[in-house]
Amino acid sequence: MSIILSTIVWSPLLFAVIAMFLPERNEEQRARVRTIALGGAGVSFFVTTFFAILGQIGLGQGGGLASAYEENHTWFSSFLFQAHYDLTADGITLPLLVVVTTVFGCAVFHSWKVHERVRLYVILVLLLETAVTGVLCSADFVLFAAFWGLLLLPMYLLIRVFGGDGARRAAAWFAAFHAVSLALIVVTVAIIVVEAGTQSSDMATDLQKWSITAETFGFWLSFVAFAIAMAVFPVHTWMLEAQAKASAGVATILSGTMLLLGAYGMMRISLVVFPVPAHYYSFAITGLAVVGAFWGCIGALRQDELRRFIAYMNVAQMSLVLLAIGAQTSVALVGAVLLLAGQGFGSAMLTLVSGAIEERTRTTSIRAMGGLVTQAPRLAGFWLVAAASLIGVPLLAGFTGDFMVFAGSFPEHRIATVLVMASVIVTTGGLLWVANRVFFGPARDQFARVRDVTLLDLTVLIPLVGAVVLFGVRAGAVVPVIANGVLEITTRISGG
Amino acid sequence: MAPDFTHALTLALLPEAMLVGTALVSVVIAVLRPGLRPDIHRWIACIGVLGSLAACGLVLLGLRNERSGVAITVWNGGLVVDSFALFIAILASVSALCTCLISDSAVRSIPTRSSAFYALILVSTAAAEAIAAEREMTTLFIALALLLVCLVALGALVKTNPRGAVSSFEHLIEGSVGIAAVLYGLALLYGTTRSTNLSTLAAASAGAPGAVALGVALTVLGLCGTLGVFPLRRWVGRVATNVPAGAAGFIIVTSLIAGAAALARVTVSGFGPGVGVWRWLVPIVAAVALGHASLSSLRETTVSRLIGQLVSTQAAMLLLGLLAFTTGSRGLPAYGVTALLGGLGVTAIATLAAFSVLAMLQVAGLGDSMDDVRGLAHRSAPAALLMTVSVGTLAGVPPLAGFLSRVLLISSAADAHYGWLAILAAGASLLTLLAAVRFVATLYADAGDAVPFTLGATPVISRIVASAACLAGVGLAVIIQPLLAVATAGAGTLR
Repeated sequence: MSIILSTIVWSPLLFAVIAMFLPERNEEQRARVRTIALGGAGVSFFVTTFFAILGQIGLGQGGGLASAYEENHTWFSSFLFQAHYDLTADGITLPLLVVVTTVFGCAVFHSWKVHERVRLYVILVLLLETAVTGVLCSADFVLFAAFWGLLLLPMYLLIRVFGGDGARRAAAWFAAFHAVSLALIVVTVAIIVVEAGTQSSDMATDLQKWSITAETFGFWLSFVAFAIAMAVFPVHTWMLEAQAKASAGVATILSGTMLLLGAYGMMRISLVVFPVPAHYYSFAITGLAVVGAFWGCIGALRQDELRRFIAYMNVAQMSLVLLAIGAQTSVALVGAVLLLAGQGFGSAMLTLVSGAIEERTRTTSIRAMGGLVTQAPRLAGFWLVAAASLIGVPLLAGFTGDFMVFAGSFPEHRIATVLVMASVIVTTGGLLWVANRVFFGPARDQFARVRDVTLLDLTVLIPLVGAVVLFGVRAGAVVPVIANGVLEITTRISGG
Repeated sequence: MAPDFTHALTLALLPEAMLVGTALVSVVIAVLRPGLRPDIHRWIACIGVLGSLAACGLVLLGLRNERSGVAITVWNGGLVVDSFALFIAILASVSALCTCLISDSAVRSIPTRSSAFYALILVSTAAAEAIAAEREMTTLFIALALLLVCLVALGALVKTNPRGAVSSFEHLIEGSVGIAAVLYGLALLYGTTRSTNLSTLAAASAGAPGAVALGVALTVLGLCGTLGVFPLRRWVGRVATNVPAGAAGFIIVTSLIAGAAALARVTVSGFGPGVGVWRWLVPIVAAVALGHASLSSLRETTVSRLIGQLVSTQAAMLLLGLLAFTTGSRGLPAYGVTALLGGLGVTAIATLAAFSVLAMLQVAGLGDSMDDVRGLAHRSAPAALLMTVSVGTLAGVPPLAGFLSRVLLISSAADAHYGWLAILAAGASLLTLLAAVRFVATLYADAGDAVPFTLGATPVISRIVASAACLAGVGLAVIIQPLLAVATAGAGTLR
C-alpha cells in the first residue's frame, strides 16, 4: 500500500504539531522552530519531487498515474452516501503539487524574516500547506470540501496577524469571500451526492444520471465557488486587498498557490462533474475571461502600489487560464495547467521581490521608487526573470503555457482568444514599465544605502528561478504527464 | 425478550434506576453526614453515571441478537427501550459524567449543597433518558416537566451572582411556556385520537384536521423550546451567560439531547408521514431559527453568549435531519435521523468541550467578554487552542466534526426535497463560520492586556476532560463511522 500522497499531505501537519510544543523565547529557540517547519515543508517537497519522477517513469512504462499511487479507505458508509479517504494524483495534480510544495518551502524559508510569533507563523503556514496539498490530492467530494474549508482559518490569521496596515480589512474580505466559496462547495457536494444517485462521494464515480436543471445549478454553484478562489472578475476584490496588505511571505502563498486551487477546482469539478452545462456556457466563461483580462491589465496600469499591481497582474493571468477552461480543448487545458505552474512560480517570485524592495525602500509606492538597479542589480534581475516568465518569454515557464492556451482556444473562440492575446501585450508593457520605473531611471539619494539581495533572499529566490527555467526548458517532459490527466476532462466533455 | 415486569425493571429502567438510586444515596449521605467533602458526592455521582453507562452496555449486549433493535416494550408500548433510546441514554450519561468531573469550580461556591447539585444532575439525566424511551403522552410530559424543574433548580443552585437567579427564573418561565404548549398540543391530539400512545397518532388522526394541526403545531413549537431553538430559545443565552460554565454546559446539552429525542419520537415515530402538518412546520421553524441564531452569533460580545448562539444554530440544524425519515429523492431509505443523531452526538460533545474550556477560564479568573479573552494566545497558547477547537467544532469550521455533521444534515435535507432549506442551512453555516473566525481572530490576532493567566491554576481533571472533549471534536471528524453506525441503528428503530 502506497502512503506517498498521505506523506505529502500530512507531513507538514505533523511537523506543525511538533513545532507547537517548542518554546520560542529567544532567537535560538525561534531558529529551532523554523528549522522544524522547514523539515515539514522539505519532506513534502522532496516526496513530491520523488513522486513526480515516479509518475514520469510510470507514464513512460505506459501506465497511468492515478491508479498506481491511489490511497482509498472508507471514511464512513452508514449514510446516504459513502465517503472515502481517497487521495490520488494524476497528470494535472502532479505539476501543481510541485509548484505548491516549492512555494511553501520558500514561504517557510521566508519565516527567517519573521521575528515575532514565529511559532504561530510556521504552524499556520504548515497547516495551510496540508490544506492546499489535500485539496489537490482529494478524490472524494466530502474530503475535498473539508480540505477546502481548512484553507480559511490559517490564511485569515496569516493575513491578519502578520500583515501591515489594513490587514484586518483584507483578512475580513478574504474570510467573507472564502466562506461564501466554501458554502457554495458544500451545496454543490450535497447536490452531487443526492441528485446523481450514486450513493458515493467518490470523484471517480460515473455521474451521468441527473436532470439538466440539477446539473446546471450545480455547475454554476461550483463555478462561482472556484471563480472566487481564482480571483475571476468580478469576484476578485478579496485578492487585491489580501495581496496588498499581507506580509510578503503570506502574499507569496496567496499568489503562488491559492489562485491555482480555484482553477484546479474548476477543471476537476466544474468541467468533469458538470460537462454538459460547462460546454453549453463556455461562451459565458470566455466572456468573463476577456473582461477579466482587460480589467486586470488596465487595473494594473493604474496602480501605484507595487503589490496591488501584482494582484491585478494575477487577475489578468488567471483570465488566460479561464479562457482555456472556456475553450475546453485538450491543448488549451494542458496549456492552462502549464500556465498555472508558470504563474505560481512567477507570481511568487514577483511578490517576494516586491517584498524585498518594500523592505529596503520603506515604501510601497511605485512612484516613489526608481534607480534601484544601481544598488540592487540582482534584485532587478530576479524581477525581470519573473516578469519574463509571466510574459511568456521562450525557455521560461510561461511560454509553453501561453502558446498552448492560445493555440488550443483559438479554434473554439476566435474573437475571445484574439482579445485576450491583445491584453497580454498590455500586461507585457505594464510589467516592463513598472520594472523601468522601479529599477531604472536616475538613482535617488534616499535609496543610496539600499542593499542588494541577501543570502536568505537568494535561498528563497534561486529555487524559484530554477523551477521557472526547468519548466520552460523541459516543458516537453511535463506536457505528456499533464495530457494524461487532461484526458479524463476532455473525455467527459465529449460525452465519453 | 419477554415483556414482563421483571425484565422491564432490569432492562428498561436499569440505567435510569441507577441514576435515581445514586441521587437518593447522595442525598441520604448528605443528610446523615452534612460536613462531608463535596468531592465525595462528586465521586458517588460519577459511580452512578458509570453504573448507568454499564447498564446501557448490558442492554446493548442483549440487543445483539435482536434484529428489530428493540430490547423491550412495556406498558402497552408506552415505554420502549430500543437502539434509539440507548443512543440518547449513553449520550446523556457521557454528558453527565463530563459535568461531574469538571464541576469542581461550580461546587466550590456551594459546598453545603453539593449533594443536591449532583442529585439534580443525576435526576435530570434520568429524565432525559426517560424522554428518549417514551411513546406515551402523559409520561412524556411528566419527564419533560421533571427535566425542566431539575435543570432550572440546578442553575439556581450554583448561581454566583444575582443575575444567575433571575436567569433561572426566566428559564423556568420560558420552559414552562414550552411545556405548556406541549401539554395543550398533546391534549388536543388526545381529544382527537382518543389515545395517549404516540405510535397510534398517525393512524387515528384522520378526523378533525384543524384540531390535529393545532395540536401538532403546539407540540412541535413547545419541544423546540426544550431543544433551544426559535421561538423559545432566549434561555440558552441567559443560562450560558449567567450560570457558571460547568453547570451551564450540562443544562444546555441535556435539554438539547432531551429536546431532540422528544421531537424525533413525537414527529418521526408518532406523527410520521401520515400527519402532514409537521412536515411543513418544521422546515419553517428550522429556517427562521437558523437565520435568527446565525445572525445573532455575528454580533455577540461575550464568549458564553457566542457559544449559546452557536449551540442554538446547531440545534436548528438538527431539525433538518427530522425531515428525511422515509425515503429519499431516489426512492432509497432516507438517512435524516442518522444525520440528526450523529449531529446530536457531535453537538453535545462540542458544547461540553466549549463550556469545559470556559469553566477553566472562569476558574483562572478570566472574564467572559471578548475583551477579556483578547490576545489569549499570547498568555496561554493551550487555552486558546482548546477554545479554538471547541468553538470551531460548534461553528462547523472545516475539517472538524461539526463541519462533517453539517454536511450530513444538509445532504439529508437536500435528499428529502428540501433543497431551499439546504441552501439556507449552508448560508447559516457561512455566518457561524464567520462568527467563529472573528472569535479566533480575537484570541490570536489582537494584543490582549497583560493580565497573567495560566491553565495551571485549574484542576487537572477539568483540563483532561476539556482536552479530551476537544480532541473528540477532531477525532470524530476522522473516525465518524462508528458514531454513524450506532446512529443508523438508533434511527432504524425510530422509523
